[in-house]
Amino acid sequence: MDAIATILPTFLAAEPAGAHAPGAQVGSGPPWAILIPLLPLLASALCGVCAMLRVKSKAPAFIVVAMLGASFLATAAVWLQGGGPGPMAGASVAHGWDWIQFAWGDGPGQALIANFSLYLDSLTLLWMLFVTGLATLIALYASEYMSHDVGQGYNRFFAYFALFVFAMSCLVMGDNLLMLFLGWEGVGLCSYLLIGYFYKKPSAVAAAKKAFIVNRIGDLGLVLGVFTTFVTFGTIEYAPLFEMVGAGVDGSGHALHGSWQATWIPIFFMIGAFGKSAQLPLYVWLPDAMEGPTPVSALIHAATMVTAGVYLIARMYPIFLLDDAHTALTIVAWTGALTALLAATIGMAQFDIKRIMAYSTVSQLGYMFAGLGVLTTTGAAFHVFTHAFFKATLFLCCGAVMHGFAGQLDLRKLSGVAFMKGWGVVGVAMLVGCLNLAGFPFTAGYFSKDMILAETFVTPGSVIGGASMVGWILLLTAGLTAYYTFRVFFRVFVGPQMYEPGEEHGHAPHRHDHGPGHPPGHGEHDLADARDQAQKDEPGGAHPHGHDFHPHAPGLAINAVLAILAVASVLAALTYFIHKPDHGWVGAMVHHSTAHFGGLDAHHGDEAAHASHGSFLGLDPHKAMYYVSAVIGMVGIFVAWLLHYRGRTGAAVAPADRLLGALGPIPRWAQQKWFVDELYDFVIVKPLWALSNVFHVIDKLIVDGLVNLAGLTPRGLGAGLRPSQNGLLHSYAAGMAGGIVFILLVVWAVS
Amino acid sequence: MTQFASPFLLYLGVIVGAVGVALALPRRGLSPQAIGALVAGAGLGLGLLALGLKAGEHGPGVYFYLFTFIGLGAALRMISHPRPVYAALYFILTILSSAGLYLLLAAEFMAFALIIIYAGAILITYLFVIMLATQAPTAEEIDVLSEYDRYSREPILSTIAGFALLATLTSMLVGGLEKPLHRAGPDERVASVVLTRKVEPILTERYGLPPEARVVSVEGSSATVVFPQGWGGSEKIQLFRALDPGESMPFELPEEAAPENIEQIGLTLVGGHPLGLEVAGVILLMAMLGAIVLARKQIQEEEGRKMAAARGGLTREGAP
Amino acid sequence: MDLATLAQGGLLHQATLTHYLFVSAAMFAIGMIGFLTRRNLIIMFLCTELMFQAAGLAFIAFGRHHLNFSGDVFVIFVLTIAAAEAALALALVVYLFRRKETLDASEWAELRG
Repeated sequence: MDAIATILPTFLAAEPAGAHAPGAQVGSGPPWAILIPLLPLLASALCGVCAMLRVKSKAPAFIVVAMLGASFLATAAVWLQGGGPGPMAGASVAHGWDWIQFAWGDGPGQALIANFSLYLDSLTLLWMLFVTGLATLIALYASEYMSHDVGQGYNRFFAYFALFVFAMSCLVMGDNLLMLFLGWEGVGLCSYLLIGYFYKKPSAVAAAKKAFIVNRIGDLGLVLGVFTTFVTFGTIEYAPLFEMVGAGVDGSGHALHGSWQATWIPIFFMIGAFGKSAQLPLYVWLPDAMEGPTPVSALIHAATMVTAGVYLIARMYPIFLLDDAHTALTIVAWTGALTALLAATIGMAQFDIKRIMAYSTVSQLGYMFAGLGVLTTTGAAFHVFTHAFFKATLFLCCGAVMHGFAGQLDLRKLSGVAFMKGWGVVGVAMLVGCLNLAGFPFTAGYFSKDMILAETFVTPGSVIGGASMVGWILLLTAGLTAYYTFRVFFRVFVGPQMYEPGEEHGHAPHRHDHGPGHPPGHGEHDLADARDQAQKDEPGGAHPHGHDFHPHAPGLAINAVLAILAVASVLAALTYFIHKPDHGWVGAMVHHSTAHFGGLDAHHGDEAAHASHGSFLGLDPHKAMYYVSAVIGMVGIFVAWLLHYRGRTGAAVAPADRLLGALGPIPRWAQQKWFVDELYDFVIVKPLWALSNVFHVIDKLIVDGLVNLAGLTPRGLGAGLRPSQNGLLHSYAAGMAGGIVFILLVVWAVS
Repeated sequence: MTQFASPFLLYLGVIVGAVGVALALPRRGLSPQAIGALVAGAGLGLGLLALGLKAGEHGPGVYFYLFTFIGLGAALRMISHPRPVYAALYFILTILSSAGLYLLLAAEFMAFALIIIYAGAILITYLFVIMLATQAPTAEEIDVLSEYDRYSREPILSTIAGFALLATLTSMLVGGLEKPLHRAGPDERVASVVLTRKVEPILTERYGLPPEARVVSVEGSSATVVFPQGWGGSEKIQLFRALDPGESMPFELPEEAAPENIEQIGLTLVGGHPLGLEVAGVILLMAMLGAIVLARKQIQEEEGRKMAAARGGLTREGAP
Repeated sequence: MDLATLAQGGLLHQATLTHYLFVSAAMFAIGMIGFLTRRNLIIMFLCTELMFQAAGLAFIAFGRHHLNFSGDVFVIFVLTIAAAEAALALALVVYLFRRKETLDASEWAELRG
C-alpha cells in the first residue's frame, strides 16, 4: 500500500473532514455547478442548430466532446472545491432556478416544491465524475465511429447523445425526486431515440419500442414511490426528506418503523430500479437495445443509464433501511443474484459478441443489485464504478471490430483479430476488459466483485434472508462469467487469423451502424480494392465468399479512447487501496453520503464485529474471498482456453463443439434465451392482443358507429338539400321571395 | 279595428292583377299580352277602388290615379317586353310617373333628382350596356331576339310568388290610415331648425329690429331674438320698459321665412345622417374602383383572346 | 290656374299613406316577378331598380306621414346604392357577356352545390 501511496500522494493527502452526519445542515453549493447539466443541453441545442443548417462535417461531434469535457471539468471542480481529492464532507444544494412551487396551505405537506437545484454530495459526484468523463471519451470515439453517417444522422446522433448526458445529470444531481424523475424519463427517451437511431431498420424500431414499453412498468413503480414519498413525508426534496428519514418519522412526526410506508416505498422504488437497470423480470429490453450504435450501447446501456437503478436505491438507501424486515432489500438481493445467473447462462450460449456483452451487463447489474441487497452500497457503487470503465472498454472494442469487419459480430466467423495489422490496441484493450470482467486477480473487477461476494457471506441471514445462498449463486456466476468472457476473447482475438466480413459489406449506401466497411471518403480502400482486383490471388483464404474485403483498422480517435479506457480500467483497481478503512476511494465517497449511514455500521465496517456475523465455510469471508474468487475466475478462464483456444484451427470450429452433443438441448435453449421472450409473449402480449381485439370490435361497432352516425346524419340532410343549390340565380331569388312572404305572413299573423 | 279597405275587393284586385300579369308575360305558344295588360289594369283598378271606397272625401285626386296607372303599366310593360332597349325605355316612363307621385307628395327636390339621376344617368348606362352586350346581328337574321329574351322562365309560378307577396303586403293595409298625408308646403312648418341667417333679415325688415339684434334659435314657427342693450323699440314694436342686457323675445315667423323643401332635406341629410352620408361616399368610391378593376380585366382578356385568335388563325390556315 | 284652385277642384287632392303603400307594394311585386321570370341579366337588374323605386316611394310617403325629411334622405341613399350597383353590376354583365356571348342567367350555374 505504501507504494501506491507514493504513486498517488495527492489522493492520500486529503482525508475527509469527517463522516457525513445525518440531518446535518445542508449548505449551499457553488451556483456555477448548474453548468454541469446545462453544458450538455447547450451542446444538444447546438447540434440541433447544426442539423438545421445541414452541417455536413464533424462539427457537432467536436461541439459535444468540448461541452462534455467542460462539463466533466466542472464536475471535477465542484468535487475539488467541496473536499479535495477525497470525498466531500456533507452535502450542499446548488440552487439553479425555481421550477415548481405550488402551495395550497400553510401546514406541513401542503406545498410541493421542486426546484431546478443540484444536490451535491460525494455520491452524486462519484456518479457524475464517471458519467461525464466516460461520456466525453465515448463521444470522441463516436466522432470516428459514426463518421459514415456524416451529413445524414450525424447531427441527430450527437444531439441525442448530449441530451442524454443532460438527462443523466438531472437524474443524478437533482435535489428532489421530481428532478430525478425528469432525468429518469429523459434518459429513457434518449435511450429510445438512440436505440431506434437506425429507424429504417425494423428490428431497431422494435427494440426501441420494447425498451420504452418495458421501462414503463418500472417507471410506474418509480412514480408510485415518488407519490407515496410525498404523501408520507410531505416533501420530495432530499435535504428535508433525509432529515426526517434519519429521525425515523414521517411528515407529521409519527414514527415510521413498522408502518406500511416503510415496507412499500422501498418496494416501489425497487420496481423502478428493476426496470431501468434491467433486472428480472424486466431485463428483456437490454439485450435488444444493442440495435443502437455501439457507442450508445457502451455509454447508455452499459456504463451509465442502466446504473441509474443502482443510484436510485443507493440514494434512497435510508428509506430502504427504515423497514426492519428489509423486505425490499431481500428481494433486491435475490433478484440480483438470479438475474446474474440467468443472464450469464444465456451469455454462454450466444454467438453475437455484442449480445454476449449485453448479457454480461445484465449479469453484472445483477451483482450490483445483490450488493445493494446485502447491505453493501459500497460494493455496489464500487462495482458500478469499475464496471463502467471495463464494460465501456469491452463494448468499444466490440464496436471497433464491428466497425472494421463490416458489421461482423459472430464469434464463429472471426479469429485472431488482435494480431492483425493495426488491431493491437484493440486486442490489448479487449484483454484488459476481459480480465476485469472475468475477475482476474488484482484487476478492478476482481476487487469490486470480491467486495460484493464477501459481503453476501458477511451479512447474516437473519437480516437479509438467504444472503449466503445469494453468495453461492454469485460465485457460480463468477465462474460462468470468466468462461463466457474468455470464450469471446479466445475465439475472436487470438488464434489463427481468419475473418468473414459482415452482411453490410458491399452494400452501396453504408447507412447502417454495422456496415462501416467503406466510409465515404476513404479513398485508400477503393485503391486497395482495385489492387486486389488486379492481383486476384487472395492470400490465406481468409474469407470463403471471395469478396474483396479488407478489415478496416480503427483510427486514431478509437485507438486513443480505447487506450485511455484500458488504462483507466487498470487504474480503477488502485482506488481500492486508498481510504482503506472505507474500503477504497469509492467506499469513502459512498460512506460520506446518505447512501451509508444510520444503524448499518452496527453490523458492517467494524472489523471486530465480523466474527459475530456470517462466515464463508468457517473462514472470514473478507479474506477468504480473495482466494476463492481468484481461483474460480481462473478456472473459468482455463475452461474457456481448453474449449475454445487449444487446438483450434479455424474460426468456426472449436473443441467446445464436441461437448454440445453431450449436453443435449440445453445449449440450444440457452441460446434461445431460455424462451423468456416467448414466455412473455405468451403470458402478457398474446392475452393483451386478444383483449385489444375485443375492444377493437367494440370500438368499431359501437364507438365508431355512433361517431359515424353523427357524421352521416348531416350528410344525409345535406344530400337532401343539395339539389336546392343548383347554382341558378332564379331559384335562389325565388327562395328569397318565398322567405320574405313567409316572414311577412308570420309577422302579420303575430300582430 | 275599423277596416279602411274592403278585403274582398282588395284580394279580388290582387287575383285579377295576377292573372293579367301572368297573361302579359312573354312565353312559348299563345301569349296574349294585350289582353293580359288590360286584365292587369282592371285588377289595379279594383285594388284602388277597394282603397278608395272608404276614403270618402279624403280620396286622392285625379293626378294620383293618373301617375299610378302610367307607372305600374309601364312597369308591367317593362317586365314583359322582350326587347331590353324597350324595357329600359318603359322603365324611364315608370321613373317619370314616380317623380310625379313625388311631386304630389311635395318632394320636389327628390322628384327632379330622380329624373336627373335615374332617367338621366343610370338608365343611360343601362342603354350603353344593352348596346354593348348584344350579339351582333348576322346577315341572315337581322333583328332577331335571343331565345332568353323571347321566353320567360316559369311565368305562372313567378307571378304566384310575386302576388302572394303583394297579397301579404296589402293584408297589412286593410287596417289602413285614414288621414291624408301632409304636404310639406309653405304653410306647414315642420322644421325644427332653420337657418338663422335666413330668418334674421326677414324679421329685421318686418318688425324694424336693430341691426345688432341676433336670432339665436328657431323653434317650430317661432324664433328667439336677442336684442342689444338700450334699444328703445321701433314703430312696430313698442317697449314698456328698458331691456336688460341679453334679453330675448320670441317672434312669430312669417311665411316667407319658413324653410324650403331643399333646405329641409339638406339639414336632415347633413345634420341627421352624417354617417350615412360618409358611408354613401365610400360606397360610391369603392364602386368606382371596382368598375375600373373589372374594366381593366376585360381589356386584358380581350387582348389575350385576340392574340390567341391570331395564333389559332395562323395555325388553322386562315380559318376564322 | 294655380295649385290652390287645382287642389280645391280635387285634381291634386292628397291621397292617404295607404294608397301610396299599395302602389309601392304593387311596384315591388312587379319588379320581383320580373326578376324571377326574366332570363336576361340586364332586365333582371332593371327589375331590381324597379324594386328600388318601390322602396323609394314608400320612404317618401312614410316621411310625409311622420312629418320629417328622413324619407327623402333615404331616397338619396337608395339612389347612391343604385348608382353603385349599376356601375358594378353592369360592368360584370359586360364581362360575363364577353366570356360566354350570352346574357342568359341560367348559363351561369357553376356554383351549384
